[in-house]
Amino acid sequence: MADLAVGGRVAGQGQGQSEEGFEPEVVGFLCNWCSYAGADLAGTSRLAYPTNLRVIRVMCSGRVDPEIMLEPFLDGADGVMVLGCHPGDCHYLSGNYQAEQRVRTIWMVLDHLGIDRERLYLDWVSAAEGARFADMVSEFVARVRTLGPAGGGPASREGLSRGEFAFRAEVARRVAGGERFRWLVGRNKALSEEGNVYGEKVSPHKAAALMQSVIADECVRAAIEVLAGEAPVSVRDIASRLGISAQLVLEQAAYLKRRGLIELYDVSGRSPRYVRAGARA
Amino acid sequence: MACETRCPGGKTVGAVLVVGGGIGGMQAALDLAGSGFFVYMVETRPAIGGTMAQLDKTFPTNDCSMCIMSPKLVECGRHLNIDVITNSAVERVEGEAGDFTVTVVNRPRYVDPEKCTGCGVCAQHCPVGAARDTFNAGLGKRPSIYIDYPQAVPLAYVIDRDTCVGCGLCENMCLAGAIRYDDVPRERKISVGAIVLAPGFRAFDPSLRQEYGYGRYPNVVTSMEFERILSASGPYEGRVLRPSDGDIPEKIAFIQCVGSRDRAHGGRYCSSVCCMYATKEAVIAKEHAPGVQPTIFYMDMRSYGKGFDAYVERAKQEYGVRYVRTRVAEVAEVPATHNLIVSFESEHGRVVKEEFDLVVLSVGLEPPEDAGRLADVLGIQLDENGFARTGALDPLATTRPGVFVCGAMQGPKDIPETVTQASGASGAAGALLGSARGTLIREKIYPPEKDLRGVGPRIGVFICHCGINIGGVVDVPSVVEYAKTLPNVVYAERNLYTCSQDTQKRIQEKIQEHGLTRVVVASCTPRTHEPLFQETIREAGLNHYLFAMANIRDQCSWVHMHESEKATEKAKDLVRAAVAKAALLEPLERLPIEVKQSGLVIGGGLAGMIAALDLAEQGFQAYLVEVGPELGGHLRRIHFTLGGDDVQAYLRELVGRVMSNPLIEVHTSSEVKEIAGYLGNFRSRILDRSQGDGEAGSIREVEFEHGVVIVATGAAEFRPSGFLYGEHPGVMTQSELEARLASGVWPGHEQEQEQGQGKATEARGGLGPGPGLRRGRSVVMIQCVGSRDDEHDYCSRVCCSEAVKNAIRLKEADPDADVYILYRDIRTYGAREAYFEEARRRGVVFVRYPEGQMPVVLRSEAAEPGDGGGGGNGDGRLVVEVTDTLLDERLAIPADAVVLSAGIAPNESNKKVAQMLKVPLNESGFFLEAHMKLRPVDFATEGVFLAGLAHAPKTIDETIAQAHAAVARASTVLASGAITTEGIKSEVMKTRCTGCGLCVEACQYKALEIDPKDNVAKVNPALCKGCGLCAATCRCGAITLKGFTEEEILAEVSALC
Amino acid sequence: MQASCAQPRMGVYVCHCGLNIAGVVDVEAVRDSARALEGVVVARDNKYTCSEVGQKTIADDIRDLGLDRVVIASCSPRLHEKTFRGVLEKCGMNPFLLEMANIREQCSWVHSGDSAAATEKAKALVRSAVARARLLSPLSRSEGRVVPKVMVVGGGVAGISAALYLGNMGIKTYLVEREPSIGGHMAMLDKTFPTLDCSLCILSPKMVEVAENENIQVLSYSEVEKVEGQVGDFRVQVRRRARYVDEAKCVGCGDCAAKCPVRVPDEFNRNMGERKAIYIPFPQAIPPAYAIDAEHCRYLTQGKCRVCEKVCERGAVVFDQTDRVETVEVGAIVVATGFRPYDASKKPQYGYGRYPNVITSLDFERIICADGPTHGKLKRPGDQATPGRIAFIQCVGSRDEHGHDGAGAYCSRVCCMITAKQAFMVKEKHPDSEVYVYYTDMRTAGKGFEEFYQRGRGEGIVFVRGKPGEVREEEGGSLRITSEDADSGCILDLSFDMVVLAVGLTPPEGLVDLAQRLNLSRSADGFLMEGHPKLRPFETSIDGIYLAGCVQFPKDIPDSVAQAGGAAAVAAATCSRQKIEMDPLGPVIDEDLCIGCRLCEMLCPYGAIKVEKTDRGYKARSIEVACKGCGVCGASCSARAITMKHYSNDQIVAQTRALLEVS
Repeated sequence: MADLAVGGRVAGQGQGQSEEGFEPEVVGFLCNWCSYAGADLAGTSRLAYPTNLRVIRVMCSGRVDPEIMLEPFLDGADGVMVLGCHPGDCHYLSGNYQAEQRVRTIWMVLDHLGIDRERLYLDWVSAAEGARFADMVSEFVARVRTLGPAGGGPASREGLSRGEFAFRAEVARRVAGGERFRWLVGRNKALSEEGNVYGEKVSPHKAAALMQSVIADECVRAAIEVLAGEAPVSVRDIASRLGISAQLVLEQAAYLKRRGLIELYDVSGRSPRYVRAGARA
Repeated sequence: MACETRCPGGKTVGAVLVVGGGIGGMQAALDLAGSGFFVYMVETRPAIGGTMAQLDKTFPTNDCSMCIMSPKLVECGRHLNIDVITNSAVERVEGEAGDFTVTVVNRPRYVDPEKCTGCGVCAQHCPVGAARDTFNAGLGKRPSIYIDYPQAVPLAYVIDRDTCVGCGLCENMCLAGAIRYDDVPRERKISVGAIVLAPGFRAFDPSLRQEYGYGRYPNVVTSMEFERILSASGPYEGRVLRPSDGDIPEKIAFIQCVGSRDRAHGGRYCSSVCCMYATKEAVIAKEHAPGVQPTIFYMDMRSYGKGFDAYVERAKQEYGVRYVRTRVAEVAEVPATHNLIVSFESEHGRVVKEEFDLVVLSVGLEPPEDAGRLADVLGIQLDENGFARTGALDPLATTRPGVFVCGAMQGPKDIPETVTQASGASGAAGALLGSARGTLIREKIYPPEKDLRGVGPRIGVFICHCGINIGGVVDVPSVVEYAKTLPNVVYAERNLYTCSQDTQKRIQEKIQEHGLTRVVVASCTPRTHEPLFQETIREAGLNHYLFAMANIRDQCSWVHMHESEKATEKAKDLVRAAVAKAALLEPLERLPIEVKQSGLVIGGGLAGMIAALDLAEQGFQAYLVEVGPELGGHLRRIHFTLGGDDVQAYLRELVGRVMSNPLIEVHTSSEVKEIAGYLGNFRSRILDRSQGDGEAGSIREVEFEHGVVIVATGAAEFRPSGFLYGEHPGVMTQSELEARLASGVWPGHEQEQEQGQGKATEARGGLGPGPGLRRGRSVVMIQCVGSRDDEHDYCSRVCCSEAVKNAIRLKEADPDADVYILYRDIRTYGAREAYFEEARRRGVVFVRYPEGQMPVVLRSEAAEPGDGGGGGNGDGRLVVEVTDTLLDERLAIPADAVVLSAGIAPNESNKKVAQMLKVPLNESGFFLEAHMKLRPVDFATEGVFLAGLAHAPKTIDETIAQAHAAVARASTVLASGAITTEGIKSEVMKTRCTGCGLCVEACQYKALEIDPKDNVAKVNPALCKGCGLCAATCRCGAITLKGFTEEEILAEVSALC
Repeated sequence: MQASCAQPRMGVYVCHCGLNIAGVVDVEAVRDSARALEGVVVARDNKYTCSEVGQKTIADDIRDLGLDRVVIASCSPRLHEKTFRGVLEKCGMNPFLLEMANIREQCSWVHSGDSAAATEKAKALVRSAVARARLLSPLSRSEGRVVPKVMVVGGGVAGISAALYLGNMGIKTYLVEREPSIGGHMAMLDKTFPTLDCSLCILSPKMVEVAENENIQVLSYSEVEKVEGQVGDFRVQVRRRARYVDEAKCVGCGDCAAKCPVRVPDEFNRNMGERKAIYIPFPQAIPPAYAIDAEHCRYLTQGKCRVCEKVCERGAVVFDQTDRVETVEVGAIVVATGFRPYDASKKPQYGYGRYPNVITSLDFERIICADGPTHGKLKRPGDQATPGRIAFIQCVGSRDEHGHDGAGAYCSRVCCMITAKQAFMVKEKHPDSEVYVYYTDMRTAGKGFEEFYQRGRGEGIVFVRGKPGEVREEEGGSLRITSEDADSGCILDLSFDMVVLAVGLTPPEGLVDLAQRLNLSRSADGFLMEGHPKLRPFETSIDGIYLAGCVQFPKDIPDSVAQAGGAAAVAAATCSRQKIEMDPLGPVIDEDLCIGCRLCEMLCPYGAIKVEKTDRGYKARSIEVACKGCGVCGASCSARAITMKHYSNDQIVAQTRALLEVS
């Protein structure tokens, strides 16, 4: 489904053409023990950084659900930061590794959907790194400024309209909420580092390929569910909306239909149209 | 002959290996296990069922494939004497006929089939969905842990190690603890006396025919993919959608012979089944989506089987399926719409381009993938097409003694022929191992029946979704809730498939758990599934008859599919009625009946002789009754096979063996006068005129008792009228021609020959003297004389091959001769196609004439000058006028001889035999088997079997296979020595009976008589079929039909109203 | 007080923090914008919200206005969350109905240049806090029992000290030691620096004190096999290896050893002498009981002998003993398993193991010790000759940049002083001997250390800055070292009679396993990681498990003892609690949604969530007391069946939305 990414991105456009006066809105998820403390230290040290960042405190970067990482994009944020303890320093032993797995995978989802992965930022800040934190925020805000507003049309890196950006962010969030996706994200690290049930270490290449294929499936499924939730749609409607082959859409629509997640609404001409299950009533 | 091979001394093992678990393998296994042999069934896939499990419907009856197969599937799975070894391959075979040691390698399944309950939670959550769904012919994907289909046997999941990432989720979620990641390949040695090969076939890979665009164009699909598209359990749930965009296609093109009849790609042979399955798919597509306009592009319409032509006719007339005779040159895609442009040459040679929404490629059947490896392992030879090599006169035996073959591994064939061969192969194996019968089988021991006296009815109701067959229309959960409210119901639940193996276990558990005393299943028709459920409850200690069924599929969901609510209400009514009846059910007894270890074979032709010999070799007494003075029947008129075997030599040898077998009692010039009795205990009377010259005094009446009857009364070549047949000596039938060819008399030389050899005249079968033909002259053959016309709606199946065979003979004898075959479709199915090709290569001219415009045979107006010895009789030459559809013009072909390919006509005497045996004939006058697909040699009447031309036109090898099959089926009755009757039968209350005798008259089965002792009616329980006519007739209400008592029926009625 | 989600009554307090906040942020404007938010009953600004006046204002409002949520916009919650929770609690409110907006550290202090933007941001932060507060639920802290006992793992000087501190506090303490006797490495030392006290002389009384302390139970010859439970309530399985000698009966007479026919290299003497198969590691051993070395005992390996059994008049030899696993319940654990000296044979350039006269510093301790194999006479192992020229090479296995051959990149801290001590002792015994010390840096950071070092220099010990590349053996067993003196730049090419390698301290054997069993993390150097390098030096990431001595990092004896005291103090504090209260931040599992995939179980670093088989299939269950509330389970749950208390997705989403709302 690389088409989807290509279809969305207008090459070269938007880069560096930030809107006049564009102030990115950035949401940061900071772990209580290191990065939030680091941010506090920046304050105690009076290290100035842009006001664009708004922080939400969580106990551990491992608490940041992949859905939560994407939520701000649905609400109009232009960038999201996830900050945790340095590797090995996690107050909860390994939460930051999970955060890293999630962000890396969400990047793949964003790539797939034609949203610039740079809008989601992951880094480590210790409680002692106030200065580093301040620099990091400044750099990220500047970076997002060059990406342009999320859904800023030609003024943004992706060239997506606000509606389209919101749609894709919604698709991404649904993907991130999916069982298959979440299970594999959770297992990914162990599969490649500790080995699978057959005692084999899954190669990073294979793991990535599997994740890619899951993301490809799940993105189409999520997109179908979103669109079928809005109005009755045919496979071809969905395909043209997503800019991908109707064949791929049909395969996933058939899957959703078998699972009872969408249902037949009517047949328009020769095209069966579907709605999200229960939406008919 | 397969059954000639006796085991070479030493040990004979009473077990048989069946390789392949498709319909052929299952039939062979069931027949073998039923006749006293232990069976190991080795299947490479994780579940048995084979290709038939993937089919949506079967032709020509449009039966649901899974529905008719499922009982066999379940029976194989639960049969005590069949060890189903799936996910396995035969690795090594050592030893010899009678005593083989076979090494089987069991691939790891990673799931313990003993523990797996088939609940499917693992597959539901498996995060990997990368593997193409092979069961759905690659349409859609499946998880890495899967079963092929919901009714799979064994119902155990399997991990596809190629795509499994090893994440461990399935193990985490498996409540049964069935996952075994440390599973390893296991070797197993088994000891068997014979091997039956039934590995099936592989479909041709159409991407090899690049011009059709398969693999490049999404809307070009194979027939198997389309089958899955049509199937309710398929990727689109039975909705006809095209893969490119999910739209409902309107114009669908079927392209025939993809990978068949094609020297360059796939087999040179004809795949035999594609014409019919394409027709079926076109019809079903039309049923599913009425807007569909199917077109079938074909070369010859090979609907040669029983009832096939009629089916094709219906497709044309009722469903508007369009048939275009052409070879499609190319398929191109319109990129914007993914529609397809099919280019083909019209009948008149114009190149036509037509746009379609969907193209279905009717792919041919190839030998199975591992045929080569199997052949190596088993030490058998393959033929030039890669199928198992067999002889035309011994179609079931491979080149290695003790190894038999059936089904598509022997050559492409459809389901009934596969089933016939499977039974035949099992019969051949049984004949080989006769001495070890019963040595290795396990007996079923039922738990004692529970004493239910004083226990009120406690009814359990099981309601089936039948996938979406019922669940898609009827609101099953609400029916369950309703059932729970009915009187006496203590338990109710719903099942995805109530007939699946795990549900059987579940029903038994629920019987114990809730102390059920009656069970009601609401699902499909009791006709197919009642025995299964009865067996299930019996195993749980309930009498077979404490069971009632509500047919909420065939008679509800399937017929009210657009009225969900009403269908649900009706289903509730049906369940209520079944529950009401169940409450009144009483245990009934099944009586054991002794079986006479002998069989009556009616007809001494090829089928009859083989059947008699098989019976004898299996150790049963055979009575062979032939109406003619000599054995041989129709075979006497056939001199050679297509492959060149000497049929008459074979016949002589066969007759010799029949005559010399001590267990066969032959009665020629004899006629069956009466057949009384029933399964296991027939008593027949025949009139034997063989001792004299037919004078009254020499007629002998003979009577014997026998356990089974095999009907092999044969058929005759149709005696044509018209075509100057009988009026002009140059006009003859194919068999008359063959007789001449066999006698070495070239039709043009007869006069000379006749003068030298008197015998040749005889061989012409009474045809008047006349030279007619000479070397270098012209012979015209006319096909379909007496077939596929208004009088005979069937295809005689053999005539095309006969014509080709004789045409080649003629060309061999005289390459300069002009040989014409005027035909409608050339039906040289299977490997016979090669001879069709050879005939064309030799210059035989094939002229197709249009339907309804039979060629006309005329005497030539102009006497030809210098016509040597031929002109002497004054008959002159002949001219055959025919319309050539290709050239679209009328031809007049001068002919020295005209050969009529006369069809096969049923025997007149069939009616009489049918009446005596109470078995039906079909509209054409052939015997009607019990089920067209799955019981091709059985009759609905138990103990009576069918073989040969009496059934339908067929070739020698098919006849032989069927004869073996009939005996194999018969031996499942004979082998046990005793059978049990049904429990449903009439009962007379002596006190009420007045002895009026009305019931005796009413009974068609002669099961009632008036006992002279006390002048009351008496029922012979073995004869009673349970029809209940007597009960309805009885004026005094003295007769009740157990299982359908008046109370029970009234209860049902009042529950319904 | 019950909080109702439907109509919360919220109070918002915006702090001026003097001018810290108000100097940048328009506090009144923030207050006014808060006042307009839905559900906000009162919004005030305070000079110092944390002051008594500020707290009282809140308390009054709670009482007078019936507030059920309090939002405070001030400094970092890391600073004052506890304070304000206390205010709520005092007013009878659930403390978890408090939310803070950090408008100082993360606003006014970092955006002082842009007042307007900082004010807008402060408004957004308050809005976000109010949105979250609206969804907060009252939570109650979970409680666990406390077993007032401690286990000390490791019987070296750190373990002994910890046990004694605890025992003397009246706390029942189990001291688990792998060897037959406690004592550890300190027992092997001859003297201690800088006082040159006899090592065993000062340790031995402490060991006796351990044996005599009725609160301390020594579990010698034993190892920790498995640990379950959590702070206050650990269940530790200890494998007690068969000693084949009844500790209670053995009086340590040594008759058995005298008759024992099997001679075994004596590990206590660094294999430089011999012991018997039935032995006592050193005369002052505690417990003072012999033990049979099953690996070498003739009876246990070959089935014949039993001489010791015969000679023991007290019948203390019991051959039918077997290993047994005892479960001990404790409330806290002190890990003090010490260190392992660096294996010098991994540096083949120095020839240890090949050249008999190359020894390690620990070997030297035994040689110089009066109790040692040479009875305190300085003799070199090769030929028992008294070495006249001795070289010490420092940093063997320490400060190794790349950490090759198992060496540490760190400084082992004690080796400089050990060498200074040993060199001094050589000079003391043999004043005319020549002693060279090759060093990287002399590290004499400690009370009296530098003075001691200078004393050594005064005695004529030659200190050469430089690390010799190799040691070559010459005929007669003498050793040649060629090295640059980095101070003078001269190349020194000298021959020595003996070379002593000052080996570093590395993590003890089996620490990887032990760390896994205890769920502890190790730092990059391989030692156990402390709770915080500065402020929580005794603690670990697991509550109730504490560290003492070299298992945390190389340290000298006084530091080990000091840390032992600290660990003992925190362990005692833990054990003296009536109950353990835990922040209720754990997961709430919706069993309807849970599919039992076990992902949470596999990812939980604390084993605080377990999947159980239920009537409805596998379902995850939370073990509250073990949970630390990190939220990994909730954020990972494949079925989204887990909600984190106090950090639910709903709450976070509400915060996000509020933050991004255009004001």
